[in-house]
Parts: sequence; C-alpha cells; structure tokens
Amino acid sequence: MAQTRTGSNLIWNILSYAVLIVLALLSIGPLLWMLLTSFKVDDDIVTRTMVYFPTRFTLENYIKLWNQSGYPVLVINSLVTTTLTVAICLFTGTIASYAFSRFNFPGRTPLMLGYLVVRMFPAVLMIIPLFIVMRNLGLFDTSLGLAVAYTSFLLPLFVWMLKGFFDAAPKELESAARIDGSTRIGAMFRIVIPIARNGLVATCVFVAIAAWNEYLFALMLTSSTGSRTWPVGLQLMVGEFQLPWGMLAAGGIISILPVIVLFALVQRVMVAGITAGAVKG
Amino acid sequence: MTAKFDRRSVLKLGGGMLAASALLPHQAFAQQTAINYWHTFTSQSEAAGLQAVLDLFKAAHPDVAVTPENIPNPEFMAKITAAVVGGSRPNVTMVSSERFEDLLAMGALSDMTDRIAGWERRGDFDDKRFASITKDGKSYGVPGFTFVDWGYYRKDWFDEAGLAAPTTYDEFRDAAIKLTDASKGRFGFGLRGGPGGQNFVVNVIEAFGSPVKKEDGTIGLDRDIVVKALDWYAGLLVKDKAVPPSAANDGFQQVISGFQTGQTAMIWHHTGSYQDIASKLKPGVEFGTFAMPAGPATRVARLAYAYNCITNDENADAAWEWIKFWGEPDAAVAFLEKTGYMPASTVAAQDQRIVGNPMYKAAADTLGFGIPQPSFPGAAGWAQNTVLPALQQILIGQATPDQAADQIIEGLAAAIA
Amino acid sequence: MSRGRAMAALPPPRSTWDAINPLRLLGELSETRYWMYLLLLPSALLITAIVLFPTVYGFQLSFTEMRLNRPAGNGAFVGLKHYQRMLADPIFWLSLRNTAVWVTFSIVIEFVVGLVAALALNRNLPGGKILAVLILVPYFLPNVVAGNMWALMLDSRVGVINDILVRIGLLHEYKAWFADPNTAMATAIFVEAWHSFPFFTLLIMAGLKGIPADLYKAADIDGAGAFAQLRLITLPMLRTIIAAAVILRVIGLVNSPDLLLILTQGGPGRSTQVLSLYAFQNAYSDFNFGYAGALSVVMFVLLMLFAWAYIRLSKVNQD
Repeated sequence: MAQTRTGSNLIWNILSYAVLIVLALLSIGPLLWMLLTSFKVDDDIVTRTMVYFPTRFTLENYIKLWNQSGYPVLVINSLVTTTLTVAICLFTGTIASYAFSRFNFPGRTPLMLGYLVVRMFPAVLMIIPLFIVMRNLGLFDTSLGLAVAYTSFLLPLFVWMLKGFFDAAPKELESAARIDGSTRIGAMFRIVIPIARNGLVATCVFVAIAAWNEYLFALMLTSSTGSRTWPVGLQLMVGEFQLPWGMLAAGGIISILPVIVLFALVQRVMVAGITAGAVKG
Repeated sequence: MTAKFDRRSVLKLGGGMLAASALLPHQAFAQQTAINYWHTFTSQSEAAGLQAVLDLFKAAHPDVAVTPENIPNPEFMAKITAAVVGGSRPNVTMVSSERFEDLLAMGALSDMTDRIAGWERRGDFDDKRFASITKDGKSYGVPGFTFVDWGYYRKDWFDEAGLAAPTTYDEFRDAAIKLTDASKGRFGFGLRGGPGGQNFVVNVIEAFGSPVKKEDGTIGLDRDIVVKALDWYAGLLVKDKAVPPSAANDGFQQVISGFQTGQTAMIWHHTGSYQDIASKLKPGVEFGTFAMPAGPATRVARLAYAYNCITNDENADAAWEWIKFWGEPDAAVAFLEKTGYMPASTVAAQDQRIVGNPMYKAAADTLGFGIPQPSFPGAAGWAQNTVLPALQQILIGQATPDQAADQIIEGLAAAIA
Repeated sequence: MSRGRAMAALPPPRSTWDAINPLRLLGELSETRYWMYLLLLPSALLITAIVLFPTVYGFQLSFTEMRLNRPAGNGAFVGLKHYQRMLADPIFWLSLRNTAVWVTFSIVIEFVVGLVAALALNRNLPGGKILAVLILVPYFLPNVVAGNMWALMLDSRVGVINDILVRIGLLHEYKAWFADPNTAMATAIFVEAWHSFPFFTLLIMAGLKGIPADLYKAADIDGAGAFAQLRLITLPMLRTIIAAAVILRVIGLVNSPDLLLILTQGGPGRSTQVLSLYAFQNAYSDFNFGYAGALSVVMFVLLMLFAWAYIRLSKVNQD
C-alpha cells in the first residue's frame, strides 16, 4: 500500500514538473524574446532573415524611451494610483466580503449580484458620463479620481474573490472565539482575516495589477500634465509613422520590473502564510 | 453655432441625477495666458519638431504659455468627444482633414473666418489649402503641415527589369506582376488591407470614375464602377498574386517593413514615412518615389492637411497667436527639418530643402493635382467600418467584388441617412 | 488588536473611557442585527456614487437618438428603434456569434490550464517557487505590451514564431496568422489565454492553501485516487472561488476590446468582430451613441443572465 502510494506520488511529481516546465517556458519565452528585442538595433529587428541574438548590443532603446516618455513621472503616478486603489478596496471591500461570507441576511444574493452588475456595463459607454461625474466632483485628472474610478469596477472583483477565501476559512474557530466572549468585530479581525490572509494578499495583487495596467480610463480621465499613468505613455510610443518595436520591447521590460519586485515581496508573505497555515491545520 | 450636445444637455438627459455644480470660474491673475494644445504627434522626430516650434514661439510670445498634450491617435476621437461633451475642451486642437466634418458637426470647432481673413500671412497660403477645413463659406482652422500621397518603389529592381516608375494604373499593375517572383519571396505591391488601408480603396474607386461626393454636393456611388475598381484593386492579390498573402492584416508597420526588408517592390503611402524608409534603403539608388498613378478615369492623390483649430472660446486670442505662428516660415522650416513633413504655406514650400531634393519632386508635383479626401459627417467611420472590411472580405475570399460593392454602397447610405 | 480583544472581552462596569472607547462602541455595534448592512455600507455607497449615473445614462442612451455628428434631432426618445435595427443587423449577429466563440474558448482554456498549473504548483516541489513566478509573469504585462509583442512575434515577415515553426518543419513558409479567417480568431484566443491563464492559477493556488490537509489524508485512507480527490474534495471546496473567477473573467472578456483592437481590429473581413469592438466603433468612429448604448445594454443583459444562471446552477450561494 505505502509502496504504491510512493510510486504514484513519483509519477505525479514527474508529471507536475513536466507541466510546470512547459508552462514556464511558454510564459517566459515571449518575455525573453522581448528582452532580446529591447537590446537590438532596428536593423536586427526588421530583417529578411531572422536575427536571434543582437549583432550589436545596444541600450539605445532604453535611453530613447527614458528621454521621450517621461517614465519616472508616469510610473510614480501609476504607483500612487495603484496604492490608492488597493487601499480603498482593502478598507471598504474586506468588511463587505466578510458580511457576504458570514451572514445570511435578507437581500444577500441580490446585493451580491448588484456588486457584479456594476462591472457588467461596458466601460466604453461609461467613459463620457464618468468624465462628467469626475469633473463635477473635482476629481478629474487626479490620482484619487482615477483610483476611485478603478475602485468602481475593481471593488466588486475584490469583494467576490475575497468572499471565496472567507468561505473557505473554517467557521469553528470563529465560533469558539465568540463563545469565549469576543465580539463579532473582534472575531473578524483576530480570527477570520488572519486565516484568510493568503486570499487577501492574492486579491490585493489582482487589484494592484489591474490598476497598474489599466489603459482606457487612465487615458480618458487624466492629462499629461496631471496624473497620466504609465500604460498611456506606453501606448503613445505606438505611433503611426514609426516602427517602435525596440522601444516598445524596452517599455514592456521596464513596465514589468516594478511588478516583479512587488510580487517577489508578496511571495515571501504568502510563503510565511502557508507555513503558519500548516501549524493551524 | 452652439453645440446641442453639451454638458448641460447630457445632465438633463441623465435626469438631473447629479447636481450640475458650476465649474469654478477661470482665474486669470497672471499676465501670462496659458493655453493647451492637443495633438497626436508620437514619434521622436515629431516630438522634436513640435519642441522646435514651441521654443521659437516661446521666444516670440513670452505672454502666452502653451502646454502641449499628446493623445494616442487611435483614441483621439474618443478623448476629444468626451472633452466636448464633458465641457472641458482644449484651447487649440490639431485636426486632420478627415476628422473635420465630424468635429464640426458635434460643435467642437470655432468659426475662425474673420481672423483668417485679417491675417497678414493669409497671402502665403493657396486658397486650396483651406478647402478641407471650410464649410458653407466658414473656415475653422489653419493648415500646419501636410501629408502628400505618393508611392515608393525599388529603383534597383525596376532598373534591373528595365521598368520605369508607373504613371498609370495599367503600368502599375504590369510592374507589380513583372516584379513578383514567388521563388525569391518577392511581391510587386505591398497592399495595405489592414488598419488604415480604407483610404486607398476610396481613392481607387474615385480613380475609376465614381467620386463619393459629387460636385453638386450629393453623395453616392456608381455600383458598376465600384465593382470594377474593387475587382482591379483586390485582384492584385486574388488574381494577379502580386501582393503578399498577409495583405488583409497589413497595417502601416507591416507594409513599411515589407518594403524595407525587400519583400515588396512598391507601396503606397504618403510623405510622412519618407525618413523611415530612407533610414533603411538608399534614396535614389535602392528606392525612389513616384506620384500616385492615374486611374482609368482620373488621377487621385490626397493632400491630407493637419489643421490647427480653436476649440474653446476662452483665451481665443492667445490661441490664435499660437495657430498663426505655424504659418511663420521659420517655424514651418524648423518643423520640416526635424520631421520632413511638407509645410502648408507656399512660401515655406519654396525652401531649398524641399525644392533642392529630387526625392521630393513627386510630392511637389502632387501638390499641383492632389485633392482632399471626400468629406462629410460620417465619412471616416464609413471608410473604416464598412469599406475596409468589405475589401478584406474579397482579399480572404469571403466575398465577390459585387457583394463587397453592395456592402460599401449600403454602408454609405446608412452613414449619411 | 490584542488590546481590542481585551477590551471587548471585558465585562461591564463602565468607566468614562469605556463609554467613549471607539473599539468598544464598534464591538457593541457589531452585535446589533444591522451589523452586516453597516459593513456593506461604505463599499455600496462608493460604487453607487461613481457608477449609478453612468449606467443609468447608458440605458437611457439606448432609447435615445444620439448621433454626435448629426446634432439635429439628438436627445429625442426613439423607443425601441435601436433594438429593432439590431435585430436586422447582420453585423450584430455575427459579432454575437464571434463573442460567444471568443469567450467560450478563452475561458475554458484559461480555466483548465490555470487549474492544472495550480494543482502542480500546490505539490510544493523543489524549485516550485521559481516556476510559479515564471508562470505568473504574463499576467503582469499590460495589454498594450502583450498585444504588440505577440503582433511582432507572429508577424508574417519578421516574426520569430514563424521562423521557429519553419525551422522545425511544421510550416513550410511564414504564415500571416491574422490575415487568414481560419486562424485569426484561434490565434487571438491563444494570445488571450496566454495572457490571462495566470489569473486562475494565482486564485486557485491561494484557494488550495485553505483546504485542510486532513481531508486528503482521509481520502487517501479511503483509497480515493487523484481524480476522485480532485472531483470530490478540491473542486467542491473551491466552488465559490472558481465561480467568482469565471464570472469576473467572462465579464472582462465580453466587455473589453483591448487585445483585439491591437491584434486585428475585428478583421480580416469581420472574422474577429466582437460586440465590445462593435460598440466601440459605433460610439467613437460612427458617433452613434444611441446604437452603441443599445449594444451595451444587450451585452449587459447577456452577462446578467449568464451570472444568474451560473450562480443558480453551481449553487454557489447556498451553505
């Protein structure tokens, strides 16, 4: 019995490695190509016969990009907007999804659907009225305004996802705390949220990435002298009368660097969460 | 002319759900008047050209501060629409001729007729330059620079085959077929069937003898001629096989890189891409330029002007100073030096850098016979969303020229209804 | 937080401090029967303030004549005119069909690949952490970059994918993937799936951590195989997370034309024309906001029906 289980485990491990390595290559291959492209001169990109490795290694694409796009300002704007978005979601969304997960109250299902509904109306048509709302609130062309606009469609995502993680957290510990005399809010902050923290982190990562990469609202609700964000700056390089491949590749590389750094940090937190979870289990 | 669709009517439409709080009154304490300028310049050379004009303007007009705002071209109309409807228009906007009628209809543009009439440099501009920014006798902008339709051809290949640059559609097609050599992966013509290719279809239809907008102002197409034109143009791929099979998805980048890498012998574009081509191929040796060939009925080459327009009544005097400045020869030549774009002013076009360069001869010739694009509200949308898909359907074998012609004609009727 | 616990756990007698202590007040508030509504209030207010007017406005547009480049007659109520036109509009039906293909295939591929990757990563193999980061990276790319990068790699002249496929003999000449109606949609779906499958991986991975290990141990003892465990333990435990992820992704796929705008713009010959793209074109190149509004309402209603049916069928909301 034990013998066969080890055997099947080995098979599954090998299969898992195979799957993971194939997927990792698929995921990373295009990025490596982008990295290579970003170091190429134009003549090595637009060629009749494929040039795999740059014949002349150049940093020109990065230099041009840096000078032309105003990268530092745009990235700071992106960071501010993303942070604000995550913060708003965290404060208002966590308690909302807790309510959806832990209480059965009249109107729960319609309300949950209601949160989804706001994401369902196509952004294309919402832009102009949203523009007017932002102007009237005095939030046009501010990072806060953009973050609030993002919140309107990312908060539902946040609430729905987090509800899933809260649902998965065992209710027994919470009941035990309640029996010990803890208030509901006490149980929420001391028991449920710590248990679901992996989910909380994962959800925040999603919201952060979505806010970081968003383009259409950022274009419409900001200006270049105000709170314009990085994806808009990137799009501006895809001009009509130039071949921007090298610069675009460089832009891609420097736009994922901050995200990868963030993710590396989050990974540590998640790993810590897993170990703690094992003790709990 | 007041816009019917302004912020207030939108709010009314919204049922007054939001209190229409008045915008803060504009504060103009400083002596310097600040205006913003929306444009679609993207490339490094364009950015440098704009900067050169801005620097000159700053020296000449210290009392006006211009803040440029670049808008990605594909989303330009979305952004300007929101600004007009939402009541936060820029002071000055760069308007390409194909966008004029739509913007005018939505009330984005201010009448500049009197200012232009009283302008000391008005004499530097041919009347024709204002044609595609004028409607019912009123002008709404001043041309800044122009793109002139022309073609590029591989001079080395033409010489080798004993061919001259084509001057008619027949010569063009013959050359395309002769220079196609599948074994070498060479094609005669890089047809733009992807994004942006719609305008050339309209050109071919008109060159075959069916103008979209007739002289009396009526809009409509002659079905037989449209069929013939589509059959000829798409036939370059489906019958003559003189076009790369990727044509249906080839936009600007693909068409240019096809020519640069020696896949195609000829392409159609305009003067805006000259420097890009010349960065890869040797002008006058490896490639040459030719004026658009004449069709069976007429010769169609477009002059597409970029106009600067006043789009906000506030600070209109300062805006006018900035717009006028583009007509100064110094500014126009500084812009030309950085970008290679043709100036709109006749005086500036006499500059040695243009007259002295034989490669620009085709463009100079075209300035003589070139015409503006057919212009009416909805024209750009019709070309993009009806004409282009119809062409693509022939290219990929999903429609016959007859079926495509029907789509184009029905789409036109719907667009102007 | 530990102080909060001490406070909350303390029995009355009340000092002055106790009467105004916000933590205690919150604690008491949390025992009232309106507590859950109070928890929902901030987010509900925020969403309503931002979204209510634009959404109602969009609905109203769909019953209104609103062609920005034909100002005469704008704002008039036209009843169901736009909807009637839609019924007779072949491009609408084509876009609807393409949308169904686009969403169905994208979501199935993304979910299956995402699930498999998450399960494999959850085995905590040596080196798994590095592989996890590599696998998740595509999702970090903005659409602008992902779209243009694939456009370059799939290019029929300078694309590296064509070169590789020719070298290993799968193709004998470079292929223009987006110029052929038979491959354009499939290729676009591939790019979309490549970009978004990590969404499922990350979510399911986080969900898997929450499943108690005892359940699997018990199943092992009962002799349940790997597939039975997946079916009987893993998937049911992840039910809500999967439901949320699927619904949210479907909404994104239906509503966002970003990637297709970069790759095909609906071409060749409308073979990748989807509803979101069609609404975008109607609004911002034909300026027919009334018709674009009606298209948006239809998309909205279809998504509502989907979400409602999915929630009913998967019994997500029952405990």
